[in-house]
Amino acid sequence: MAQRFDVLGLIGLVLLVAVWQLLTFAIPLIALPHPAHVAERIGEDFIVADYLLFYGLPETGLLDSMIYTTQNVLIAVALGATVGTVCGLVTARFDLIRAVIDPVLLVLGTIPILVLAPFFLIWFGTGRTSAVLLVAIYVAVILYIYAQRAASTLNPVYEDAAYTLGASRRRVVWDVLIKGTVPQILGGIRIALAGAWGLEAIAELLGAQQGIGKIVQVLAGSTDMEGIFAALLVLGILAVVFDAFTARFFSYVSAWSVEARTGGG
Amino acid sequence: MARAADGRDVIVASNLSRTFRRADRQMVTALDDVTFGIDRGQFVCLVGPSGCGKSTLLKLIAGLMLPSSGALEVEGESVTQPGPERGMVFQQDSVFPWLRVIDNVEYGLKCRGVGRAERRKSAEFYLERVGLSHVARAWPRELSGGMLKRVAVATVFANGANVLLLDEPFGAVDYVTKRNLHDVLLALWTEAGSTERRTVVFVTHDVDEALILADRILVMHSGRIVDDLAVTAPRPRTTDGLMEPTMVRHKHVLLAHLGLENLQGDAKAPTGGEGTEP
Amino acid sequence: MKWLIAQFRRRLVSILMLLAMAGIWQILSTIYTAEAVPGEPMVPGWQIVFSRTLLSLSDYWQGGLGVPSVAEGAPQSYLAALLSILDHSVDTIVRLYVGLLIGGLVGSLLGMAVSWSPWTRRIVDLPVQLLRTLPLLAMVPMFQLWFGIDFVGKIAFVGYGVGVIFFAGVVNAVKNVPQIYIDNARTLGASRLQIYRTVVMPAIFPEMRGTILLSLGIGWAAVLGAEYLGAQSGLGYVIIYSEQFAYLDRMFVVALIFVFYASISYAIFDRLSRRLLQWTPQAGRVVAHG
Repeated sequence: MAQRFDVLGLIGLVLLVAVWQLLTFAIPLIALPHPAHVAERIGEDFIVADYLLFYGLPETGLLDSMIYTTQNVLIAVALGATVGTVCGLVTARFDLIRAVIDPVLLVLGTIPILVLAPFFLIWFGTGRTSAVLLVAIYVAVILYIYAQRAASTLNPVYEDAAYTLGASRRRVVWDVLIKGTVPQILGGIRIALAGAWGLEAIAELLGAQQGIGKIVQVLAGSTDMEGIFAALLVLGILAVVFDAFTARFFSYVSAWSVEARTGGG
Repeated sequence: MARAADGRDVIVASNLSRTFRRADRQMVTALDDVTFGIDRGQFVCLVGPSGCGKSTLLKLIAGLMLPSSGALEVEGESVTQPGPERGMVFQQDSVFPWLRVIDNVEYGLKCRGVGRAERRKSAEFYLERVGLSHVARAWPRELSGGMLKRVAVATVFANGANVLLLDEPFGAVDYVTKRNLHDVLLALWTEAGSTERRTVVFVTHDVDEALILADRILVMHSGRIVDDLAVTAPRPRTTDGLMEPTMVRHKHVLLAHLGLENLQGDAKAPTGGEGTEP
Repeated sequence: MKWLIAQFRRRLVSILMLLAMAGIWQILSTIYTAEAVPGEPMVPGWQIVFSRTLLSLSDYWQGGLGVPSVAEGAPQSYLAALLSILDHSVDTIVRLYVGLLIGGLVGSLLGMAVSWSPWTRRIVDLPVQLLRTLPLLAMVPMFQLWFGIDFVGKIAFVGYGVGVIFFAGVVNAVKNVPQIYIDNARTLGASRLQIYRTVVMPAIFPEMRGTILLSLGIGWAAVLGAEYLGAQSGLGYVIIYSEQFAYLDRMFVVALIFVFYASISYAIFDRLSRRLLQWTPQAGRVVAHG
């Protein structure tokens, strides 16, 4: 989304922090920590968080957890987006395959993928596999729907035109089907990515050895609100930064499309 | 009925038919036992009311669709699939929005493995010929409808097709733009010299457009070719030229075929260049 | 008639596909016979599900209505199993819909209040986008520490998740109201309040369809997440409680029930919003001209 940056937005951001600050006067600090304290806490816990040692975790901090969580999310998004996009594009062109895959994915699309988490914990343990698989399925379902819709609505005249200009079938797939659906597919990835962070975090909360979710779980056990705020804020910043990156990439790759200019999302 | 094929023809159709199955399972005949031949270098217009099968015929020649029965040959070879020797300009905008204008013009050459420098030179040449050099690096969304049509024309000419198929290409543009596009198209077509001219099949429902452009007009109705007019007026054809008696007679005939006029007076029957059959 | 046949055919493929999935599950259960803990297969086949599993769900009945609970020493019974499923279902569904209602109402009202002037809209734009990007599901523990693990905690969590979606949805929809409608109303002499009531509100209605469906998905995920991480009742609680004993068969049945509810709710909302939208564009047009 190549949106113009609005200076008034900064005022809004300042207001948000101010409201938080004001609330801390009314609500006990144990429930709502001071913004400055949370910021300090992020600094303290960044490399090594002392409290984690109490809980028998190896010497680690927010940075390590961020890396672990980010890795999982990125692997899952790459995996899920590839599978979902390929299936979506193929089913948009072959009705028979579509009739087979559609019911499965539409059922998956209407249920919270989270329902699979406890099963994965038993089947695949508390390591990376469970969380990555869970997030990958979620991403695949979204991308399947987006890619299929994009390919179905792509004007067939483009494919005809490419053939009459002498393009081979493989070329048409790459130059028309894929290039022509890139904006919608990237839009889908952006939406999937936004949900992926929360899903990854809750998968870690339910059972994991490390990651931001694990830290939140540990801190929730000792009602350490300041620490939870710090961890969640770090996770939120990760999500926002990656979203901004995707948006930048989106507007760069889709510079040709009308939606990219008006900002579809 | 159209004249049967002879040895010099580029496009030869014999007993060509095409039927469709509608959604309610009724069979519809879009093209009904059509036989004709088209000379090399001729500018042929296909005229007829909507639904008469003219677009179907064009798609068959392009190879985007296969006939239900009958034979269709271009340059002596049976048409089985689309190919770069038969360029097509579509009714809808077919310029790829995800490629810049110049990359669009180059696209066919790129598909055929022409080197970068050479295809760029060719694309620049044809963009210049259609008067779009200044927007070579623009995105298609930044162009007007008429400009997009110019890009499409430049693309097929750059691709070096011997047979150009145009499916109501200028149907959606305003009158002035349309007249300008005619000039652009005719200039590109005539500059090759009469011996090397490309063969053009141009589908339209606009009678004046056909009279300005065509050497020969094939009239279609209900899936058949019902008339074949030779337009011998000299080029370039002017507004005055369209008022010559022969042109006026042609126009009356065409309008009658489209159901807009009953033929009276001196233009009694739809008479074309060769034998006719209403 | 023909349309019906085509519809039936599409349904048939879907049903066959679902049957095939059930078959694959069964085949998997016979090929892969490993057990999570002794006596608890990793992939419980249908023969297990339909024999001991359904009965075992009576373990989750907490007593009452004259049907004693297993914890009180009563034997497992189908009646207790049915009651326990109904009981936990009601808990989950009530949490979801109360949360949806409160979140939807509060979110919409705040969104409309903020959209009153372009200035406030521009000020809240960035904070709202940030709030929407924050990973909701990771915040479960925070809400539980604030509002407890009971009813209020769940509703607050679902309400927050849904509220943020509605808030952002309304703000965005108001932003997208075509200026021409507003200009038209102004030239006809409508006051600011009148424009808001008669032009803006009807015009944003169609755009809210996507928001409602999205909030439904968020709501189901939120209630499930909240029940996973600390609850005394609800389908999510039963699933996660069974998970601790590796009772995969019970998890499987309850998860299927949960999926069933979620799919049904989608179908209902989809149809309902479609019907509501049948008249909205017309209503919008009448208002815009008068």
